[in-house]
Amino acid sequence: MKLLSIKTIRAVFLLLISVASLSVKAQSDPTGQSAVTRTFAITNATVVQAPGKEIKEATVVIKNGLIEAVGTNLTIPNNAQVIDGKGMYVYSAFIDGLAYTGSKRPENVARPNNLFSPDPPNDYAGITPENSVLAQIDISSSTIGNMRKEGFAISHTVPYGRMLPGSGALILLGDKSHADEIMLMNDVSMFTQFAGAPGAYPGNVLGIMAKWRNLYRNAENNKKHYDAYTENPSGIERPERDRVTEAFFPVVTKQRPVVFDVAGVLEVQRAMSLQKDLGFKLIVGNVQQAWDIAPMLKNNGTGVFLSLDMPDMPKEAKGKDLEAMTEETKQLEARKMEFWKKYASQAAVLSAAGVKFGFSSLDATGNKIKANLMTMIENGLNESDALAALTINAASLLGIDKIAGTVEKGKTANLMVSNAPFFTKDAQIRYMFVDGDKYDLEIKEKKEAGKGNASEGSAAGAAAVVGSWTYSFETPQGETTGKMIIKNEGGTLTGSMTSGDGSGDVDMQDVTFVNGVLTFSISRDGGGQSIELVISGTVTGKTYNAEVTVSAFNFSTPLTATKDDGQ
Amino acid sequence: MIKNATVLTVTKGTLTNTDVLVSGGKISRIGKGLNAPNGVQEIDATGKFLMPGIIDAHSHIALSAVNEGTSQVTSEVQMGDVIDPFDVSIYRALAGGVTSTHALHGSANVIGGESETLKLRYGSTNPEDLKFENAPRTIKFALGENPTRGGRSRGIQPSSRMGVEAMLRNSFTDAQAYRAKWNAYKADKNPRKIAPEYDLRMETLVDILEGRVLVHCHSYRADEIYMLMKVFADFGITKLTYQHANEAYKVAPELAEFGAMASVFADWWAYKLEVYYSTAYNATILTRNGVTTSINSDSGELIRHLFHEAAKTQKYGDLTDEEALSLITLNPAKQLGIENRVGSIEVGKDADLALFEGHPLSVYAIPVMTFVDGVKYFDRANDIKDQRIYVNPEQAVENVTIFNREDQHRCMDTEVVSFEALFSNNK
Repeated sequence: MKLLSIKTIRAVFLLLISVASLSVKAQSDPTGQSAVTRTFAITNATVVQAPGKEIKEATVVIKNGLIEAVGTNLTIPNNAQVIDGKGMYVYSAFIDGLAYTGSKRPENVARPNNLFSPDPPNDYAGITPENSVLAQIDISSSTIGNMRKEGFAISHTVPYGRMLPGSGALILLGDKSHADEIMLMNDVSMFTQFAGAPGAYPGNVLGIMAKWRNLYRNAENNKKHYDAYTENPSGIERPERDRVTEAFFPVVTKQRPVVFDVAGVLEVQRAMSLQKDLGFKLIVGNVQQAWDIAPMLKNNGTGVFLSLDMPDMPKEAKGKDLEAMTEETKQLEARKMEFWKKYASQAAVLSAAGVKFGFSSLDATGNKIKANLMTMIENGLNESDALAALTINAASLLGIDKIAGTVEKGKTANLMVSNAPFFTKDAQIRYMFVDGDKYDLEIKEKKEAGKGNASEGSAAGAAAVVGSWTYSFETPQGETTGKMIIKNEGGTLTGSMTSGDGSGDVDMQDVTFVNGVLTFSISRDGGGQSIELVISGTVTGKTYNAEVTVSAFNFSTPLTATKDDGQ
Repeated sequence: MIKNATVLTVTKGTLTNTDVLVSGGKISRIGKGLNAPNGVQEIDATGKFLMPGIIDAHSHIALSAVNEGTSQVTSEVQMGDVIDPFDVSIYRALAGGVTSTHALHGSANVIGGESETLKLRYGSTNPEDLKFENAPRTIKFALGENPTRGGRSRGIQPSSRMGVEAMLRNSFTDAQAYRAKWNAYKADKNPRKIAPEYDLRMETLVDILEGRVLVHCHSYRADEIYMLMKVFADFGITKLTYQHANEAYKVAPELAEFGAMASVFADWWAYKLEVYYSTAYNATILTRNGVTTSINSDSGELIRHLFHEAAKTQKYGDLTDEEALSLITLNPAKQLGIENRVGSIEVGKDADLALFEGHPLSVYAIPVMTFVDGVKYFDRANDIKDQRIYVNPEQAVENVTIFNREDQHRCMDTEVVSFEALFSNNK
């Protein structure tokens, strides 16, 4: 059975999208290799040097990958390619605080024969902090171009894996032919998450917390042993060269931060409690529920990368549906909305509490990032704080504020140029500069009022899939059947799946229909953890032949659906 | 100030028409016709019964995970790491007059994790707020079918009751060796000495050997209950409470002599082979033999009416009111080492109180208010339906079934999520 991970499927489809757009109209410089000059001048633009610091009718000169000059009345070098920036806005390009961008999920480690579950090999246990994300970097990954399209030039990319997959690196989101060329800094963080090994220790959060303490305290002891031996080995037992403990040394000495993927408020507090016990430098990333713990984060000085993902806004019932609702249902619906607002205003709450934060795309879908940022701004985050989080705050949390995060002379030329102030609905990114290389992005024409640009690709030709379908697929306990209802809501495909066994409807997420391939994912609850199923396949007339993939179980099974008559 | 109640103190008899003044989270005065200081809220409890908050010595509510079942000795894991303050079961327990629970590791492992004694301060998002400050450390052990089933399914020790005993003896022997190694290191005057390997698992076992951790052991059969006392005697461990202990009545004098305690079900058995030989007189026989005994729930449902569970010992065994109430108040407090703080209504103790309409040992008892540290967490007159603290904006309201098998047997099994389970409606 073919094993496809969720991210791989996403990557494949994002790749298809970009291939499709290339065939219509090639980007001017897709490889970055054919540039005739590395000197550029963007003239007559509004330059947002830093949050709240704007120069009108200014010029930015870029040379040899650096910002050579910023200001008015500048002399433009003879060999510069001049870009007329009239009406345009120049920003420091965004920095993604925690992401898998450019990283390729490796094959799952096979279950060893004769696995001794209390003490599995490190690679199966997911304890490989000595690894670097470098080994997983795939320069041909479409995620690099996709995040660049959203305005990002630097990504703190971390490896896939379990409890301690390895160190993260800062990569430049440029198109290059070798991984070394996009590497800004390696080993900038120790990445960790509450992901247990299947059927082996540590199996869940209980074991992971304990294992973390044990590894750390041993590393403290071992560091002393190593140091004493290095100073003078005479009469001292040779320390065992343990790669895991050695990987902890820069963490023990606080030279390297620990970056925790912790979405929920309890997970964030668990990471903080480990930090309190052990004393390492902590950054919490992919945070989705921090509105109640802002003062704690602030007092603790914990670095924060908030998730760029957001739950879908609950639909407000109208007309007949509203009349049919009982008072109790109305109250329950009101609570859903109350909590959606908490997610939407999380960034504003943290900002008001003085917490310094950046953003993370770890669980976010590229084409929703801008929309989600706009939602945060509508819910109280001010624009300059949003910009700071995307630029200078992220740079300072990652220790690169000397070279990135603002449009200043001497910094790396990572710039984003948009055709309107970025935090306006219709603003589109026209150019990206990554490490001084220019990338042209096409401006999409608005076709119809009310149609968002971001989702056009996914909704093109949507009529073929919109409607009601009857699906069936095999599970180990027999056949599961039900309905799939797919809608086109203002250019965005949405849908829900009903299940024949009477359990509730499940919303489809990330529904795309591209080149005859319909892809979406659903989440099901598996004993308290959310398990994602990715469904992808081709639509031929009224037939949908797809495969359901559950990467959590290395499982896939065929799904077929038939469009209901009269559609 | 709670006015004019029938106060069931548990330690100092029943006081009629009595007032209890609470200040700073503590019981500050008990007496008739007390004058409340200015600004103190008065609650008229005429005709109502006030008892100490109920303590459940065996519970798995308010936890995000119960078992780290991948290894059969996991003394390094801590339930304090996985407290889930959002579990609505906490509110349901408060609505049954419960103010403290003993959040135990499951019974998948011979030596499970350290447990956490909680105060049910529902409403906080900070797990630390639920911890019973300065409560002694406790740990979960398990004997019999559960750990051997786990061992057999993973192909690791123990696969029999003999293996369980061997694992216990091996673990404590390893801990003694570990302690000796560290003691030698500490005594070493060499400035260039090298520390031995640090092992959190062994650290906790050493703490058990040295009496710093109270052991609570899941057990059913009399032979294995007796076995553990012999093992503990050999290693000099004295602080021991048996959990479930359905056959403890057979070895009650031996328990009393050892100083071991027991926390049992009122009348629940026959859910697996080792739990057939049981009696509803278990608590009474143990009590009459001088064993400090409590009645627990091990369930998100039973926890709501532990007062009824305690009352069953009056039908089966004729315990006095005070003895029956002790089973769910003072005795579990003793088993958790918190009896100086809670478990009875006395001046100076924490104001963890439950107010009932009808005597709590009557079938007509209705809990009406529950206080933790003098703060009211449950009031039947103001019982809001939706008690969830965090709400998923994308999810339709989940099915609520207070009684389900999953909850009932949560501590019995390791959690295994399978693909099939995702599509089963009966999770």
